[in-house]
Amino acid sequence: MALFRRHRMFVPRSGGRFQVKLSAEAKRGIVALAEELEAIQSTDRPEVRRLFPTAYADDAERDAGYQVFARDQLIEQRREAVDIIRRTADAEFLTVEELSAWMGVLNDLRLVIGTMLDVSEDDHDIDLASPDADSQLLYRYLGEVVHGIVEALTTALPEPETS
Amino acid sequence: MGAPLEVQDPKVDIAVDEVTDEDRPWVVVVWNDPINLMSYVAYVFRKLFGYSEEKANLLMLDVHEKGRAAVSNGTRTEAERDVNRLHSHGLWATMEHDE
Repeated sequence: MALFRRHRMFVPRSGGRFQVKLSAEAKRGIVALAEELEAIQSTDRPEVRRLFPTAYADDAERDAGYQVFARDQLIEQRREAVDIIRRTADAEFLTVEELSAWMGVLNDLRLVIGTMLDVSEDDHDIDLASPDADSQLLYRYLGEVVHGIVEALTTALPEPETS
Repeated sequence: MGAPLEVQDPKVDIAVDEVTDEDRPWVVVVWNDPINLMSYVAYVFRKLFGYSEEKANLLMLDVHEKGRAAVSNGTRTEAERDVNRLHSHGLWATMEHDE
């Protein structure tokens, strides 16, 4: 029933475009957060460690070789994605590539905030009395936005290559 | 100019050994983490590997319930490329020899 239909934040439209249904305030907040991510990603703060995962779990030497190129590449990819967010923050429509950049940055923000909050699978309730309540609310909100983008981008996936 | 000398290039044997090591099968493993959304993980599997919705969801549930799932395999180069693509999407992926 339409009455109970959840508000969609990103609506697929013709021509492979997605209409953004976020408030101006939400968009401003996303740009500010994206720029914070850009600023802290290359620091050695503990909450960004999840942005640079290990490739070789039990081979430190090979992993060091992997990190030499992967770290710089991931940093550069995030910079480019944050640039796309800055450039398209006020756009009414986004392409698949632009919306994918939004998704990547917002998911990275969840990784940082989730690491900071030390979330677990069982953390479903928000403790409004906690000093972390704002971060918990933000983490939950970003989850809803990422889920909304996933739903939208799923409509643009090509036919499966394998079963 | 004379004909080129046929000499055994010592690098050939080394290269063969390296290729043999490279070609030992590797498997790419995605680990459960409490942060990434289940819908997001399944979407990334579909996007990166072209898996069907059903296969992507089964792999995602394996990650969620068993703690890990093997999502692709291949040579070291291929596995490292897949790990790198998964890292670009924020997933916790590692690679190991497929013994």
